[in-house]
Amino acid sequence: MKSFTRYFSKYFLSFLSLIFLLVILNVIVFAGTFYGNITKDYGDSSPRRLLEETIADSSASGISDTAREKLRSHNIWAMFLSPDGQCRWAVDLPPGLPAQYTIQDVAVFSKGYLQDYPVFVWDDAEGLLVLGYPKGSYIKITGNYYSRDMFKAIPLYFAGILILDLLLLFAAYYLSKIKVVKDTAPLVSSIKALADGKTTSFSVKGELSEVAESINKASQILSRQNEARANWISGVSHDIRTPLSMIMGYAERITTNSDAGPAIQDQARIIQRQSKKIKTLIEDLNLVSKLEYEMQPLQKEQIRLSKLIRSYAAELLNSGIPDAYTVDIDIAPDTENTMMECDTRLITRAISNLVQNSINQNPQGCKIQLALKNVNGCLTLIVADNGIGLTPEKLQELKKKPHYMESTDERLDLRHGLGLLLVRQIVETHNGSMKIDTIPNQGYKTMISFPYIHQPPPPKATVH
Amino acid sequence: MEKTFLQTKKVMLVDDEPDLLKMVSAILADDGFENIVAAATVKAAVNVCKEEKPDLLILDVMLPDGDGFSLMRQIRQFTNVPVIFLTAKDEAADKLAGLGLGADDYIVKPFLPQELLLRVYAILRRCYKEESNIIKLEGCTVDFSRAEVKRDGKTIPLTAKEHVLLETLARNEGKIVTLDALCEALWGDNPFGYENSLNAHVRRIREKIEVSPSKPVSLITIKGLGYKLNIRK
Repeated sequence: MKSFTRYFSKYFLSFLSLIFLLVILNVIVFAGTFYGNITKDYGDSSPRRLLEETIADSSASGISDTAREKLRSHNIWAMFLSPDGQCRWAVDLPPGLPAQYTIQDVAVFSKGYLQDYPVFVWDDAEGLLVLGYPKGSYIKITGNYYSRDMFKAIPLYFAGILILDLLLLFAAYYLSKIKVVKDTAPLVSSIKALADGKTTSFSVKGELSEVAESINKASQILSRQNEARANWISGVSHDIRTPLSMIMGYAERITTNSDAGPAIQDQARIIQRQSKKIKTLIEDLNLVSKLEYEMQPLQKEQIRLSKLIRSYAAELLNSGIPDAYTVDIDIAPDTENTMMECDTRLITRAISNLVQNSINQNPQGCKIQLALKNVNGCLTLIVADNGIGLTPEKLQELKKKPHYMESTDERLDLRHGLGLLLVRQIVETHNGSMKIDTIPNQGYKTMISFPYIHQPPPPKATVH
Repeated sequence: MEKTFLQTKKVMLVDDEPDLLKMVSAILADDGFENIVAAATVKAAVNVCKEEKPDLLILDVMLPDGDGFSLMRQIRQFTNVPVIFLTAKDEAADKLAGLGLGADDYIVKPFLPQELLLRVYAILRRCYKEESNIIKLEGCTVDFSRAEVKRDGKTIPLTAKEHVLLETLARNEGKIVTLDALCEALWGDNPFGYENSLNAHVRRIREKIEVSPSKPVSLITIKGLGYKLNIRK
C-alpha cells in the first residue's frame, strides 16, 4: 500500500510537468498559426501604414502618382473631404458613392463601413482622408464598448480560471488515484499473501476482476500444492507409525529378555532410544507441516493456563522421569485464574517440546522450572532449566539461521530439528511471542507471552 | 487393587498386521495376562467378540473390511466392553471421533510398550473394581465402603468430602493428582479459588490417617502441583 502511494506521488510530479509543457506547446502553436496574419495586418498594406503614406504624399489639392499607384495595386480607393463635406479629389471612387457628405454621414462611416466598404479615415489639417478597402477584406467592430473595470479585471479573471482549472485537474487526479488505490488494495494484499506462501481468495468488480480471478486461481493452485504436500507428509508419517511401533516394541522386549546377553541388550537399548527420536520426529513433522500450511484446525477453548501447566507437570512426573531431573512449578497468584483461549493439545505440546529439549540437552540432569507470570499485562509462560545452556554463537545460530522446513535454499547449514520450530508455530497461531534467554553453563530459558489477559469473575466464597 | 486380579481379564486385539498382533500379545503375556484373543478383520472381530466375551478390546482403526469406529458401533449393540483404540491415525478429528463413540482411550502409534500396559491397567482398574474397598496405608487402613479409618483399634469416620478426596487419590495410587483435578472432584466444574478449602480438607485427613500429621508419609504434598497417596502393598 505504501509503495502505491509513493508510486502515485512520483507520478504527480510528471503530471504537473506535463501540464506545463502543454501550456507552452499551446502558445507556440498559436503564435505559429497567427504570425502570418499579424504581419499582414500590420505590414505594408495595413490601413495605418497606407493612411500615413497617402497623407504624406497628398494634400487638399491632389495626390501624387506614386501614392495613387500604390493604392491601386492594393485595390484601395481613396477620397479627400474638405471640412464642409465636399469631395476634393478621389482615386477609383466606386460608382454610386456620393461626392458630398453631411456631418452625420461622416460620423457613421468613420467608425465602420461606407456602402459595405470597410473605410479608414485620417484627420488632416485641411480635411479628412478616407481610404476604402475592398468589400469583405476587414471586419470593423462598430458597436463595442467595454467598461474600464472589466479590462482591469481581465488579468484577475485569467489567473482565476487558471487556478480553478489546476484545482479541478488536481482533484480529478487525486480522486482517480484514490479510486485506483482502493480498487487495487485487495489485489496488492492478496499478492503479498501469495508471496508469503499463504492462500487467499477475494472478489473485485469491474476492470480488475480479471486480475482478481488470476490471483484467485494462483492461490487455489498454491493451496492445492500445500494440501498435497501436507497430505504427503501426513501419509508418510502415518505409514511409518505401525512398523515403528514394532521396532520399539521388540527392542524393548529384547532389553528385558534374559536370554539375550548384556551386549545385545545394550544394542537393543540403542535401537529403543533412536526409535524414540524417530517417534518424536514424525509426531512433530506432521503437526509442523499442518501448521505451516494452515491445515490444522484449531480447537480453541477457554482454559486456565495454570491448570494446563499443572496437569502437564503431573503427567510428566507420573510417567516417571529420572531422578536427576526435578520439576518446579511457580505460578504467580495473579495468573492462577487467568483464562486464555487456546488449543489445549497444541499448548501442551509446546510446553512438552521445551521440557524435552531441556532433558535432551542435559543428560546429566537438571532442574526444570515451569512458571506462569503476568509481565506487563502479558500472560507469560516460562520454561527454564539450570543446565548447560547455549553459547552466544549457538544462540545466534538458532535465531538467525533459516530452518530447512522454511527454506528453498540448498544450503547445507540450514537449521534442523523440529521441536523449537513447532513451539514457535504454536505460539504464533495463538498470537503470542517467544523469547529465548540463555547463559552458558547456567541455563536455558524460553519465555512465551500471550497478549490478552481475560480475567474471570472473582472466586466464590472459600469455606466449605 | 492387585495386578493379578486385573491380569485374569480377557483382552481381545483387532489389527490386520499379524506382526503387530504377535507383538502386542507378547507384551501383554509377558506382563502376566493369560487370556488373549485376536482377530484381523471386522467380520472376524464381531464373531470372536460374541464367542469369547472379552473384558477389554484393543482396536485398530483401519481394517481391511471396514474401520474400527464402525466395528465398535457393531460391538456396542451387544456388549458394553471397554475399548481402547490403537491406531496410526493421529488427527485430532479421529481421536475425537473415537472418544466420542465412547471409547475409553485412544493410543496413537508408535507407542511405548510400557505406556500401553499402563493404560490397559488403568482402564481395567476403572471398569472392574475389586470387591474389597479397603486400602492399607502406613499405620492405618481405610474402608471406603464404610467411610472409615481404622487406626490403633479405633474407628474414625470420614466426612463426605474427605471420602471423595481420599478415593480420588487412591484411584491414582502413587501418582500425582493435580489441585485442579481434586477441586473438580470435590466441587465440580468451576473450582476457582478452592485451594484453601482443599488444604483444610487435606489437613483434617492427615490428622485421621497419618501417624505424624506434620510429617506425612501417606498423603504427600507435591509443591505447586497437587497431592499423591502412597498405598502399602
